[in-house]
Amino acid sequence: MNLLKTPSFLIGMGLFLSTICIALLFPLFYNLDITTRAGVPYMAPSAGHWLGTDHLGVDMVSLLVSGLRSSLYVGFLAGIIATLLGTLLGVYAGFKGGWIDDIITLITNLFLVIPTFVVLILISSSLKEGRSLALIAFIIGATTWTWSARAVRAQASSLKSRDHIALARVNGFGTFGIVTMHILPYLLSYVFMVFILQTATGILSEACISMIGLGPYDSVSLGTILNEAMRNEALTDGAWWAFIPATILITVIVFAFYVINTSMEGVFNPRLRK
Amino acid sequence: MPIFDVIDLNLHYLTRFGDTIHAVSGVSFSLEKGEVLGIAGESGCGKSTLVNGCMGLIIPPLYPTSGDVRVGGESIMNRTPQDIRKNVLARKVAMIPQGAFNSLNPTRKIKDMAADVIADHENGGSKKDIHARLRERFTMIGMEADAVLNAFPIQLTAGMRQRSVIGISTLLNPQVVIADEPTSALDVTTQKSVIKMIFELLHKGIFSSMIFITHELPLLRHVADRIAIMYAGEFVELGATRQIIFDPRHPYTRALMGAMLSAEPGQKQKKPVAIEGAPPNLAKSITGCRFAPRCPQVRQECKAKKQEIRIVGERQVRCDYAE
Amino acid sequence: MLKRHPTLHYILTRAGWYFLTFLVAVTINFFLPRMGPSNPIDIIMAKVGSGLDTKAAKEKEEAYLKEFGLVELDNGGAILRDESGNPVRTPGWKQFRNYILMSLQGDLGTSFLNYPKKVTEIIKQAVPWTLALQFPTIMLGWIIGNILGALAAYRRGVFDRLFFPMALLLSAIPFFAFGMLLVYQFGIEWRVFPAIGGYAGNLIPSLNWSFIGSALYHYILPFLSIFLILAGGQAIGMRSMCIYELGTDYVKYAKWLGINENRVLFYMFRNAMLPQLTGLALSLGGMIGGALITEMIFSYPGLGMAVLTAIQGNDYPLIQGCTLLITVSVLLANFTVDILIGFFDPRVKAGQKGK
Repeated sequence: MNLLKTPSFLIGMGLFLSTICIALLFPLFYNLDITTRAGVPYMAPSAGHWLGTDHLGVDMVSLLVSGLRSSLYVGFLAGIIATLLGTLLGVYAGFKGGWIDDIITLITNLFLVIPTFVVLILISSSLKEGRSLALIAFIIGATTWTWSARAVRAQASSLKSRDHIALARVNGFGTFGIVTMHILPYLLSYVFMVFILQTATGILSEACISMIGLGPYDSVSLGTILNEAMRNEALTDGAWWAFIPATILITVIVFAFYVINTSMEGVFNPRLRK
Repeated sequence: MPIFDVIDLNLHYLTRFGDTIHAVSGVSFSLEKGEVLGIAGESGCGKSTLVNGCMGLIIPPLYPTSGDVRVGGESIMNRTPQDIRKNVLARKVAMIPQGAFNSLNPTRKIKDMAADVIADHENGGSKKDIHARLRERFTMIGMEADAVLNAFPIQLTAGMRQRSVIGISTLLNPQVVIADEPTSALDVTTQKSVIKMIFELLHKGIFSSMIFITHELPLLRHVADRIAIMYAGEFVELGATRQIIFDPRHPYTRALMGAMLSAEPGQKQKKPVAIEGAPPNLAKSITGCRFAPRCPQVRQECKAKKQEIRIVGERQVRCDYAE
Repeated sequence: MLKRHPTLHYILTRAGWYFLTFLVAVTINFFLPRMGPSNPIDIIMAKVGSGLDTKAAKEKEEAYLKEFGLVELDNGGAILRDESGNPVRTPGWKQFRNYILMSLQGDLGTSFLNYPKKVTEIIKQAVPWTLALQFPTIMLGWIIGNILGALAAYRRGVFDRLFFPMALLLSAIPFFAFGMLLVYQFGIEWRVFPAIGGYAGNLIPSLNWSFIGSALYHYILPFLSIFLILAGGQAIGMRSMCIYELGTDYVKYAKWLGINENRVLFYMFRNAMLPQLTGLALSLGGMIGGALITEMIFSYPGLGMAVLTAIQGNDYPLIQGCTLLITVSVLLANFTVDILIGFFDPRVKAGQKGK
């Protein structure tokens, strides 16, 4: 496929795969230890600790990779939830039309306007204990689905009026049958693109919510690393290793996702090609 | 004196990869006052490039190789783009584009777009005057001026949009109007009213002559005085309508008419694309007749010798062996 | 009547819609935090009540309960008690009703952390800073970003090839990440700009030049960190839209009609702007959220910092007050943009006629 040849896709994919590699393979070679105080607090990078230590003296590299794994996990889980929810609602609304469509659109627009950030804060602050990674992913997924619902609905709605759908209807297929066999296959590539963006949103949201202190209670994520850095004045102390690597990682992942999305858009939406 | 004169026009494109594509080769024809010339040909035959040439819009990557285009005796080649924009476009030569009903700016009222045309070609004139003039013109051409002028394109039907476009294109009473597939994608009733309107304008003298481009030959039969058949950048036959349609001489024209006439008795018009093969690649220089690879009457000599225009039975034919 | 005034019809419809959204938002804002297991009073008591004996602790607790409207009172203002002598708790719906009534009067409760300061008081101090930072930043970022995008689409060539990848990179950086990078690089490493605060620590807010100057100086980094990313993102989108518009039929026709090049450009720009406006409406919430996080990074004394400290200190009334205000501003902003869209895009109003 020519998609694989586009430079943007390759760059995006490349970046993304490298981060996955780090997350999955790195622990095999390196002993991730996020509990032992291996050194002096905010020790600068050295041979023994490539990225120095945090405010407690824990090895920064371990923290970073653990954080990466958690963030990726949350991002993907949230992305899956949001995409599933959004796609189901969007397809149903777009395909059925009528009052079902109106109601679902109403709800979607409601949630689109109310800032998700605010809802995240409200929910998380009420769950002081027991904020696990999965729970956070779930919350993020449940608040960010609106975008994909809207996007998928538009696609489904335009597909609805195509001939092969009418044919299927005449042949007696029920709604569910039509949706699964005739609409979803066409939407798959689109839904995949939506999923990529939702995952990026998930990772970003997790970072934001963790940064302000409403993150997972018992795990390390890229966002919590940043929160710790802010709270312990790593910025003013000049301990750049405590937050710059995490920031860069988040940026790189999100950037990779966006680039992949842009390259896919370029293929599916040829008008944008020169 | 003819209103419009195209004299041995040759135009070429320079592509990004350095190829030269001879899109229009040796086209000559002229238009008298009140005349309608139809041009027919398959896609890719060079119609669009010819149209650009006729309007004076010869800007890179399109270049003039040789030849001339004259409106009312005045040449419109080799003038600056500003000159063409202000003095030729819409004033001397106007275009009614293909898919005209999508050619209106969706966020602008009809009267505003029309006023823009006037404002950009003439100096002075208050808004009031311009709007009054528009109202007068649109009423004269048979449209409900107030309703249409104050509407946005989305509020008008396809037919009304098409007619608005015709009204706008002919605002400045051009001498030549080029209509590029003005009735495609319209329903039959609307097609009829659009054609009717165009001819009313012609008879009222709003514009003086017309080039009507379409690949629907049956339509040309009703509309054109003369027909030119275009293939691979050249005119292969040019003559009075009756002759072209009922007594074609060029093998290509014959093939087209064959496809049409066989469909005629009671059947829906077919597009004349039932000829095997494809037009030649104009980037490469071609020896001999351009139609040779597909010609049912091809002879050995056709591939070697370039065909020139001959007069055969009161029409111009580009084939040494037509009779 | 409404049929003949599509503008009015449009405005009223949108207003009605936003009002509905507002009601939902207020309800969510009230009930979500209360759905959790933890009880805010217990948290205060944990802080304040240690070291007190049971009776004194109980009195204090009841005083707080009374203060925060969590128990029923009789006409004289004393706490109502049930048979066992325990105070009667106010049911949820009544709390909600009281909350609405109080909010309408401008009372958003009392802050836990800064007791007995009122929430509205704290917010009032923070809002001007947030407004001053966010409003110009978002507006300028949007406008300039779109202009740059249009230029890139029109000129293509070298400008485009240089500009596009840069803008793409910028647009993908999360606000806070960029903020952090800027703070570190320019605030700490190179010490060109101040790293934190809205103004120099030794100054008291007042309307004199030295204060204003200091405030402006502290304004630059947070402004840049939001502005650059916003502009980058807008530029990318606008560039795509303009490329599309440049190839449309109406642009070709306008050129054939001999319409002035500048006018054609204006047509294209105006039409490409419309989806950008719609995009603005959709992302306003996110932008404001991002700007708030930027405030937190820079310890800028706006709503962002207020929310942050509130969260860290479990100050529920303050959290709620801030989120309510944030939500309301997002709704207002969206409403404004909707009206603007209706104004610029005749298709929206005309589309109503067809119904």
